[in-house]
Amino acid sequence: MTKRILICNRGEIAIRIAKAVRELGYIAVGFWTDNELEPPHLEYCHEWLHLKGANNTETYLNMNQILVHVKENKIDAVHPGYGFLSENTIFAKKLEDLGVIFIGPHSVAIEKMGDKAISKQIAKKAGVPVVPGSVGEIENAAEALKIANEIGFPVLLKAVAGGGGKGMRVCLSKDDLDKNFEAVRREAQSSFGNPGVLVEKFILNPHHIEVQIIADKKGNIYHCFERECSVQRRHQKIIEEAPSPFIGTDESLRQKICETAVMLAKAVDYDSAGTVEFIMGEDKSFYFLEMNTRIQVEHPITEEITGVDLLVNMIKAALGDELDFSSQDEIKINGHSIECRICAEDPVTMLPAPGKIASFDYTFPQGVRFDHCMYEGFEVKPDFDPMIGKLIVKGLTRNVALRKALCAIKSLHIDGIKTNTSLHEIIIEQENFVAGQYTTNYISEIKPQDKVVGLMRETALYKKALAIEIEGLRE
Amino acid sequence: MRYYIINSEGREVSFDLSYVSEDSLNTKKFKLRSKEDSVDLTYYVRSLAGKSYISEDSRSWTKLPSLKSKDGLVNINENLNIYRGFKPSGLSNAKAGNLVTDMPGKIVKVMTTEGAVVNEGSTLLILEAMKMENEIKAGISGVVKAVHVTEGQVLESGFLMIEIEE
Repeated sequence: MTKRILICNRGEIAIRIAKAVRELGYIAVGFWTDNELEPPHLEYCHEWLHLKGANNTETYLNMNQILVHVKENKIDAVHPGYGFLSENTIFAKKLEDLGVIFIGPHSVAIEKMGDKAISKQIAKKAGVPVVPGSVGEIENAAEALKIANEIGFPVLLKAVAGGGGKGMRVCLSKDDLDKNFEAVRREAQSSFGNPGVLVEKFILNPHHIEVQIIADKKGNIYHCFERECSVQRRHQKIIEEAPSPFIGTDESLRQKICETAVMLAKAVDYDSAGTVEFIMGEDKSFYFLEMNTRIQVEHPITEEITGVDLLVNMIKAALGDELDFSSQDEIKINGHSIECRICAEDPVTMLPAPGKIASFDYTFPQGVRFDHCMYEGFEVKPDFDPMIGKLIVKGLTRNVALRKALCAIKSLHIDGIKTNTSLHEIIIEQENFVAGQYTTNYISEIKPQDKVVGLMRETALYKKALAIEIEGLRE
Repeated sequence: MRYYIINSEGREVSFDLSYVSEDSLNTKKFKLRSKEDSVDLTYYVRSLAGKSYISEDSRSWTKLPSLKSKDGLVNINENLNIYRGFKPSGLSNAKAGNLVTDMPGKIVKVMTTEGAVVNEGSTLLILEAMKMENEIKAGISGVVKAVHVTEGQVLESGFLMIEIEE
């Protein structure tokens, strides 16, 4: 019997999964919902199921309804994509109990890596560096100073219960520490109702670097090198590239960070595609942040430089099949790849801007991969993530990739909704980005969004009117 | 056809676009005129692989998006509304509930009566102007206080046709 694989996701990733399922000769089963009657991923699915409900809680997050579909439709394996139930231990466990394969790691790995404190402990035990700091909360400024002297200034004081940048202060010296300690305690109490304070090393000008892992069920764990994802806004990535320009030609550093990631994956008997995220300081010291036990949005740039089809191999791993390669040496970096996330958002405020795509067109250069879920008439709903596509370029070198990226972003035209294409255009040409010199502070320091101008260019508008006139004459 | 392109802050560009001729190479010629900006342009349009292409010199061509007059447009970071043949009342300088002609025309049809309850955007009149029938729509929801026109009446620009009270 041909295997039946259910895709529990929508948008561009559902299309990407369906492509892999079809390639392997299996049956791709997809959902449509009451708030998305014409999801473009169904074009790639053999069978279409109705997931009832008008919001994500009733549909893609509704385990019970999904499990009913799994049983009724004799599903062999489920791919959760990213987001939704992709890192839900209970969902993975329930499928395991039904004898249905969850295309992802075993549920214990999801559980362990999903908990920040536990994953940090596992990392420490496995010899993976974590950001140095206090073990638990500290009582007073003297204790904070003692730890600060051990780990070295600058340090970060932060509320135990904190988040979103609140209740955090950077201290460059002993004086700063004395001055800020009580303030952070008060802020922690007033903002989070918990005066607990932690001290940890503050990483100056940090880089977000992550390593792609792919592992099978026979204990083979491979890495597919690193990605740099330092261009972020609100802690969300907007441009990623592989390999990292910050690691650059430092092959021993590349080797070290990739092997460290494999070490951590081994510690949890990892058996699927996953990503180990690190923060890297100016001095190239790196520390474990977290592990994502799913396929990630930015996986295509790794596929482009290594030639490894991550989705196909993730499915193969889950089904217990041989991967497309059998040794680490077979996986090599070839060229450079950049991804721009195309989002339905205001390019200046970077806030989501839903709406209906009126026109959608492109004339790309050679070497472009466009993973997207758009069509003319597609409605971007506030119910879903505003990311509607990923423009991925691959070139022989970083400069070639930059050239292709600029040409590609300029030749992508989406009308009817606001998108961040103009912001990408500015970043790709911006001096620091071109030089590969950027950190996670890039958007807040360089402020490329300020260069986006909304001039009412009459000639462009005349052309749009003419387009309407032509349509009008046809009717 | 008269076009109005209006952004959310009420900034407006208006111009007239007219079909002139079709020459031997399946190329359509259009004239674009805007009195306020003293613009007078010629555009050529031809089709290729199911898409329309535009040129100013019938030498270099760029693809036209496929748009309908109901589609909103976006110019970098502002939303624009484009209107073909009519400008919705309420967006004009007059009071939101007052429907005033902004070009000379003839009333083809009156679709409401005094005392009627109307919703914003519902069509109240058909006004023929620029050899085109234009739908004149309510700019606000409310009650029709007065109808000052009858079918067949010829109007000058700036004539108060209908008053709506919120």
